[in-house]
Amino acid sequence: MARVVLQRISKSYPGVKALDDIDLVIETGEFFTLLGPSGCGKTTLLRTIAGFNRHDSGHVLIGGRNVDDVPAYRRDIGMVYQDYAIFPHLSVSDNVAFGLKTRSRPRPEIAERVARALDLVQLGGHAKRLPHELSGGQQQRVALARAMVINPQILLMDEPLSNLDAKLRIELRDDIRALQRSLGITTIYVTHDQEEALVISDRICVMQGGRVHQVASPQNLYARPATVFVASFVGTMNVLADCQVGPGGALSLGRRPCVLSSLAGRARVTLAIRPEEVILPDAVEQADAISLDGVIDRVTFAGREAFYRIGCGDGLAILAHVHRPSERRLAAAGDTIRVALPISRLHAFDPADGSRIDLGRSDPER
Amino acid sequence: MKLRLDIWTGVLVVTVAVAAVLLIWPLSGIFWASFIDNSTGDVTLANYARALGHPFYQTALINSLIVGFGGMLGATLLGIPLAVLTTRYVIFGRDLLSTLAVLALVSPPFIGAYAWIMMLGQNGFLRAPLAEIGIAVPSIYGFFGIILVFSLKFYPFVYLLTASGLGTISASVEEAAEGLGAGTWRRFFTVTLPLVFPAVSSGALLAFVLSIADFGTPSIVGGRVRVLATTTYNLYTSELGGNPGLGSATSIVLIVVSMTVVALQRWAVRRRNVAGALIRKPVPVRLRPLRSAAAHGLCYAIVLISSLPSLVVIYTSFRRTSGPVFQSGFGFDSYVRILREVPHVIGNSFNYSLIAVLLIVMLGTLVGYILARRETAVAGALDSLLLIPYIVPGVVMGLAFVVVFNVPPLELTGTATIIVLMLFIRRLPYAVRASASMLKQIKGNIEEAAISLGASPGHAFLRITMPLMLPGIVAGALMSFITAINELSSSLILYVGRTMTMPVRIYLSVLDGEFGTAAALSTILLATTGIAVYAVFWLSGRKESAFV
Ligand SMILES: Nc1ncnc2c1ncn2[C@@H]1O[C@H](COP(=O)(O)OP(=O)(O)OP(=O)(O)O)[C@@H](O)[C@H]1O
Ligand SMILES: [Mg+2]
Repeated sequence: MARVVLQRISKSYPGVKALDDIDLVIETGEFFTLLGPSGCGKTTLLRTIAGFNRHDSGHVLIGGRNVDDVPAYRRDIGMVYQDYAIFPHLSVSDNVAFGLKTRSRPRPEIAERVARALDLVQLGGHAKRLPHELSGGQQQRVALARAMVINPQILLMDEPLSNLDAKLRIELRDDIRALQRSLGITTIYVTHDQEEALVISDRICVMQGGRVHQVASPQNLYARPATVFVASFVGTMNVLADCQVGPGGALSLGRRPCVLSSLAGRARVTLAIRPEEVILPDAVEQADAISLDGVIDRVTFAGREAFYRIGCGDGLAILAHVHRPSERRLAAAGDTIRVALPISRLHAFDPADGSRIDLGRSDPER
Repeated sequence: MKLRLDIWTGVLVVTVAVAAVLLIWPLSGIFWASFIDNSTGDVTLANYARALGHPFYQTALINSLIVGFGGMLGATLLGIPLAVLTTRYVIFGRDLLSTLAVLALVSPPFIGAYAWIMMLGQNGFLRAPLAEIGIAVPSIYGFFGIILVFSLKFYPFVYLLTASGLGTISASVEEAAEGLGAGTWRRFFTVTLPLVFPAVSSGALLAFVLSIADFGTPSIVGGRVRVLATTTYNLYTSELGGNPGLGSATSIVLIVVSMTVVALQRWAVRRRNVAGALIRKPVPVRLRPLRSAAAHGLCYAIVLISSLPSLVVIYTSFRRTSGPVFQSGFGFDSYVRILREVPHVIGNSFNYSLIAVLLIVMLGTLVGYILARRETAVAGALDSLLLIPYIVPGVVMGLAFVVVFNVPPLELTGTATIIVLMLFIRRLPYAVRASASMLKQIKGNIEEAAISLGASPGHAFLRITMPLMLPGIVAGALMSFITAINELSSSLILYVGRTMTMPVRIYLSVLDGEFGTAAALSTILLATTGIAVYAVFWLSGRKESAFV
C-alpha cells in the first residue's frame, strides 16, 4: 500500500504525444481510475507507473521513493490485463503461486496464501485446473488472485472487464471493488467506460490526447465537469456550442431573453445541460430558464426511463429525460413541445479553450 | 534513451558477430573475387562482361530461368488444385496425402532425379510399358527431366502454404460471393484466389528460388542442359581452366536473379496482407459421387507420383547386387557394401547435422526472441541480414566459404568445422523464423505479467516463455535437422574424403553408376527423415504448415 506521485510525466511516440506533462497524486488505499477515449494515453500512463515503458521526462514516486530507474520486477506491483495474460501452461494454483515463488516464500506459506486468495475470488474448487478449462470470467478471477496474493504496493488494472459479457462485467466489477476495499490496496484502474468508472472509483482522472482534463470524485465529475470534453464524455450532456452573448450577459436563445450576469463581458459561450435537468411542459413555467419550442423527432422508451429527442431549429437537438414514463402518456414523434432549460442547472464553458466558467452560484449537489 | 545492458544485448552482439564472420565476410569475399582477373590479378569488369556477354554463360542463365520458372509453374499447377480440393471438399485420407507430400518435400531432390532415370531413362522400367499403351515419353535428360523433378519436388510448398491460407478465409466471404451470384469457378477466380494470392505466391517463390539454386538435379538429369549453378560449380572445381573470378561473377548473377524475384513477389503482395478476423471456418463440402471420384483420383495421382521416386529408391536398395551390377532377387548386399566401404559417411552426416542443429537451436531461439520482442533498428537489420541464406544458393555459399576460409587466420578448408559452420549458417534463419513466429503467438503481456510479479526478465523468459515455446523449438530443430542431413550442394564443395556425408556419397555413386549403394544410402536418409517428419507432426499437433 503506497501513495503514488507522478510529476510532470511526458512521453512521445513518433508522431504522437502519448503523455503530455501529467501531474497526479494517488492516495494510499485509493481506488483511482484513468478514464478517457481510445488512444488518450491511459495504457501508456499505467505502463509507465508499472515500469514497462520509460517516460521521456518527469518522475514516478511510489511510497515516497523515486522509481524512475527501478525495473518493473522490483516495483512490487500487481497487474491485471484485459486479455488476462494467464500462464497457459501452469495450473490455476501455480499461476497464483508464481509471484510468491519469485519472492522465495516458504512452501507452507505459499500454499496457505494461494488457497486463501482462490477462496477470495471464489475459485477454491478449481486450483488444479489448467487455464483453458476455465471461462473468461474465471480466468480473469485467476489473474486478480495472482495479482493480489503478493500483497503489492499498488494494483494496476488495464480494462480488466472489457472482454467479459455485460452481466459478468457487473458481477466482477462489484467483486473487484469489494476486494480492493477489504484489502486496502492502492489501485489504479483503466477504463474507457464512463459508467464503470463512476460506479467503481473513489476518484477519476479524465484524460484526452495525453493530457489530464480533470481529477475529481465521481459525484463532482458529474456535477461540475471542468471542461466541455469532460461534460460530454461523462454521462450524457446536451451541448449548445458557441452561443452568442449580448451586453451584460444577455442570452438571445429561446422565446424570452434571459440574463446570466456572470457572462457579462464575453462575446460567446458554450452552454450545456444534462437531459434529466431539462424541464418538460407540464411542469410549472419557469421564470429563470431558457425556453425553447421544438418538435420531437424521436422517442426512446427504456422501461425505467424514456427520452425525447427534440429538434429546436438551427440544427440544435435537445435530449430530454422523461421521469417515470410508465405513469404518464408519452408524446409521439412529430408532436410539438416546449422545453425549459433552468439557468441554475446550466453549465457554461469558454468556447475557445473549453474550460469551465463559474456561473457564480453554489451547486445544489454540494 | 538509456542503453539497456541485459542478456539480450549480449545475444545481439554475438549474433551480429556470427553474421559478420559467416555471412558478410564470405559473401563480400566472393563479391570482391568477381572483380579480379584470373591470370593477372588486376581489378576488372571483364568477368561480368563474360558472364553476361558470352553465349556460353548467357545460355546457362537462360536455362536457369527456364528451369526456375518451369519448376515454379509446375509446382503451382500441382499445388493449388491439391490445396483447394483437400480444404474445400471432403477428401478421404487427407492426413495421408499431407504426410506423403511432406515426405516428397523433405527428401533430397537428386534422389528424385536418379529415381526418374531408373523409371524413364533409356532403359527405364516404365518406358516400355508406357510405350506399349501408346504414351511416348520424351527423353528424361534435359529440360523435361529437370522440370519434372522440380515440379514434383517443390509443389508441396505451394500446396501447404495455399492450404493454410485457404483455411483462414472465413466461410462467410465465399458465401457472400455466392449470394451475389458468382458460380463455383467465378467465385474461385474472383474471390478465393486473390485472397490466397500471398500464400500461393510465397510458395511459388520458394519453388523458384530452390529450383535455380539446385545443383544435384541438373547435373544428374540435365544432360546437355547447363544451368548457372552447375556452370558455377565447374568454374571453381575443374582441374583445368578453372576460373574463380568468373565463377564469382556467375554466383553474383545467380544471387541477383533470386533477389529480383524475391523483391517482385514482395512488391506483388505489398498491400495484400489482409488477414481478416476469422469468423467462421470453412466446412468441406461433400461432392457428388462422380466428381468426388475425379477429385480423389487427381489428389492421389499427384501425391503418389511424387512419392514414386522414394519407393523406387527403397525397392532398389534391397535388390541383390554383385559389385555395381544388379542381380535378380532381393538381399542386403548394398547395405553390406556401404557398411564395409564407407561407414564413416553415415556417422559424419549424423554428427555434423546434430552439432549444427544444437548450435542453431541455441542461437536461433534467442535471436527469434529478439526479432519478435524488440523493435530496435538493430533487430530490423538482423532480420534483413538473415534473409540472405534464403536467397544465396548452396553452391555459391560453399564457394564463398572456400574463398575466405582457405587462408589464415581462419584456415578451415578440409575440416569438419567448415561443414558444420556451413550447415549452421544456412539453416539458422529457419530456426529464427520458427521461434519468432511461435513467439508472436504468445502474447507479450504474459511475460510482463511474470515480471510484474517480481520475476527478472531472464527468469520470466526461462520460466514462462521457454516452456510455451518448447514444442515449437523442438519442431524447428527437427526441421533444421532434416534439411541439414539432406544438404548436398555446399557440402559437395567443402568435403574432403574424411568429411564426406551421405548426400555427397549418393551423388558421387550416382555419377559412377553405383545405383545400389546410392539407393541404400538414400533409404537410410529417407528413413531418418521420415522419423523426423513423424516427430514434427506429433509435436505440432498435425500441422503440415510446420514444414514451410
Ligand atoms: N509502442 C508504441 N509505439 C508508437 N505509438 C504508441 C505505442 N504505444 C502507444 N502509442 C500511441 O500512444 C497513444 C496512446 O496510446 P495508449 O495505448 O496509451 O492509449 P489508450 O488510452 O490505452 O487507448 P485504448 O483505450 O484504445 O487502449 C496512441 O496514439 C497510440 O497510438
Ligand atoms: Mg489501452
